[in-house]
Amino acid sequence: MSEPLHQNESIGIVTSGGLKENLHVRLNGTPQQVQEGSFIVIDSQDWKFYGIATDLQLQSIDPRYALEPSRARLPEELAGLLDRQTLYTNLVVLPALMLERGPEPDSADYSAWRRAIDSGDKEEPRPMPVKSIPAHHADAFLAGAGDVAEIFGKPEDESNFVIGYTREQDHPVCVNLDKLIQRSSGIFGATGSGKSFLTRMLLAGLIDHNRASVLVYDMHNEYGLDDTASDTGENVRGLRSGFGASKVQVVGLGGSATIRGSAPDFNLVLGYSDILPEDVELLTRELNLKETTATVLDALVQSLGKDKWFKAFKAMKRGATETTDGDKKVPAPDSVAFWANQNGVNVMAAEGLHDKLRRLFNKPYIVENPPADSIQALVEALKKGKHIVLSFGDYESDLDYLLVSNLLTRRIRAEWEQMTNEFRGKNGSEPRPLVIVVEEAHKLLNREMAAQTTFSTIAREMRKYYVTLLVIDQRPSQIYDEVMSQLGTRVCGWLGDEDDIHAVLSGLAGREALRGMLSRLQAKEEVLLLGWGVPMPILVHSRRYDELFWQDIKTSKKAGFDQAKVIKNLYGD
Amino acid sequence: MANDPQVNVQVGRLLRANTRACVAGCLPSQNFPPFGSLVSIDLGQEISAYGLVSDIHIDDDGLVRQLVTTPNISETVIQDNRVNRNVPVELSVLFVGHRSAGVISHRLPPRPPLSLDRVRACGEGDVCAFTSAGSLGYLRFILEAQDLPAADLLAAHLLQAGRAQRDHGDEQWFARAIDKVITQLRDDYVRLMPVLEALADVQRELGI
Ligand SMILES: Nc1ncnc2c1ncn2[C@@H]1O[C@H](COP(=O)(O)OP(=O)(O)OP(=O)(O)O)[C@@H](O)[C@H]1O
Ligand SMILES: [Mg+2]
Repeated sequence: MSEPLHQNESIGIVTSGGLKENLHVRLNGTPQQVQEGSFIVIDSQDWKFYGIATDLQLQSIDPRYALEPSRARLPEELAGLLDRQTLYTNLVVLPALMLERGPEPDSADYSAWRRAIDSGDKEEPRPMPVKSIPAHHADAFLAGAGDVAEIFGKPEDESNFVIGYTREQDHPVCVNLDKLIQRSSGIFGATGSGKSFLTRMLLAGLIDHNRASVLVYDMHNEYGLDDTASDTGENVRGLRSGFGASKVQVVGLGGSATIRGSAPDFNLVLGYSDILPEDVELLTRELNLKETTATVLDALVQSLGKDKWFKAFKAMKRGATETTDGDKKVPAPDSVAFWANQNGVNVMAAEGLHDKLRRLFNKPYIVENPPADSIQALVEALKKGKHIVLSFGDYESDLDYLLVSNLLTRRIRAEWEQMTNEFRGKNGSEPRPLVIVVEEAHKLLNREMAAQTTFSTIAREMRKYYVTLLVIDQRPSQIYDEVMSQLGTRVCGWLGDEDDIHAVLSGLAGREALRGMLSRLQAKEEVLLLGWGVPMPILVHSRRYDELFWQDIKTSKKAGFDQAKVIKNLYGD
Repeated sequence: MANDPQVNVQVGRLLRANTRACVAGCLPSQNFPPFGSLVSIDLGQEISAYGLVSDIHIDDDGLVRQLVTTPNISETVIQDNRVNRNVPVELSVLFVGHRSAGVISHRLPPRPPLSLDRVRACGEGDVCAFTSAGSLGYLRFILEAQDLPAADLLAAHLLQAGRAQRDHGDEQWFARAIDKVITQLRDDYVRLMPVLEALADVQRELGI
């Protein structure tokens, strides 16, 4: 706590502002020493204030000094002296947190202050949302490594993961992984902004931290096995290659799936009985189903049974007829029309549904008798703490993605709900937290789907049942706002579209200031951390995902452990 | 001796004074100090007043009025009139500070000098001592003076003082003085710019 003040020199002093209108700092030097998004610390008596630079404005004490270049009238040196006093830059700081720092560490007041804390009369100061402002002429600084660690946590702490570095001074910025998985979170950014790279990194951190299981719906086969970067052509390590199959398993969709030419650890094959009417209803838009679908499905389940309808319906023939004695053509007993007539269902509606479901009937990964209950195997692996990357292999269509991810998620959620209830009823152990990672999340979480899918239920109920989402998307505006507003941690790269920016900032304070910042991020490898999961918004340039990263991951445990031991030896418990 | 810049030389005696300024009379032969230069007047009781020569005027007398229209005046007549004139050359002095018991302050002297008190031109040592004491607060007397050519007075003074400081090893003094002037006048763009232009000339002359 009693770290030395600042390695940095004061960059200016507070001249005006307020809680509602941001703080204004008059800079001592040139504007370029600070950039939008810089993490700024302000020292004001016994308090430290933390904020983010949101704007820089050129100012003069009289507009005439700014309009007429002094160099035109005066020699260089005099002009310099004049400009220094008459022209200046105003830094606008959005204050976020404040921390009681106490009196100067070597003063008499300090020891009294410290004693009060140590004896428990006074709470150990903690950063809290700003409720006051610094005084006039308080000194402002660029945050030092100590400040960043004070707010975002120390990189050596076990639950902290370095996600990137501050823009100007490269101080490591951590996210708290325990907090990250407490609520659903999101990674956003236009295409090519580095979402997949960041996700790989974050997942590596989560897997390494090992407090939750991870299930990735890997629509484009990016996360499990090694990949090749589309722009640099370099090899990109996958999670299984990084951690080995004992921790991370790659599951391929379909019986004979290969992922990038390699065999997966096991295959996911769905049985006919796994397909429920609700799975079909979710595909309404994808299959362009009619309003009559629900009625037909209802009748199918009623007449054929919840786990038999799919098989039976598939077996029915479309348009089959037979000729009666009276030379009349009537629907054959194995036809769709026959079943419809028997069950009082509109023949056209039933035949229409049958036509449309043909796309499902023909899916090779849906078979009558799967060799094993691979869904259950997958669930068991997750429960045991393994991490799973479900690769869609060649099944890259939206239909495959929607059907399989929804079906699986429904099963998983039900399982976790049951475990949670058992645990709460004191006859079971605590469920292992699970993070479900969804790429192209808007496909599953758009306005239309949101009411029906398990995904939006998960996002809304937070971690009640120990399951949270990590959604990845390039079009956050297409994700249902109610889901968006539930996302705790938001990591956002460059976005060009106003609506997308608006969506990412929904429900956050200081939106106006953050909006401009988002639209001016670098196109690659620069992100804004936002939301409940981070102490305050901050702009970081992303950590590099490369072999060095993997070396760090592999040695971090030991390093963290040793360090903890050293500290223990030094200071006791 | 009269030209040694290191020592203070008597240049005249006091004619009249008020708290802010005084007028001294001297003979032209006494090589009176130039416009803008620093003078001191001993007030007794270890107090001396400091001021800047802010005006020099030479009044006519009856004899000059007659001579002025004479067609061919001989050189001896001119010299005689100058040296032995009845009316002295008058130096107006703007007070800018004082020294009391060895301590220099940039406030007005506690009381004005009395008639016939000696007025001395300050040598470089004294100029440096006065202008380095405190933080150039005395410049306000120049900038606030009414009915004076403030820009030129300032320029003339900074030339003398800047040269003395430079020769005594403080090359930064001049820049500090300019900084102070800017601070005092920055709220008045229209006044500040011509002052700075005058000071630009001084800087060129000082070569720093
Ligand atoms: N943290 C990083 N470390 C190393 N390279 C990175 C990083 N972030 C981005 N890149 C580079 O940027 C490129 C694009 O990143 P990435 O594939 O993650 O983008 P994306 O946001 O997932 O795009 P899309 O929406 O098209 O999937 C990568 O191929 C890589 O070269
Ligand atoms: Mg991607």
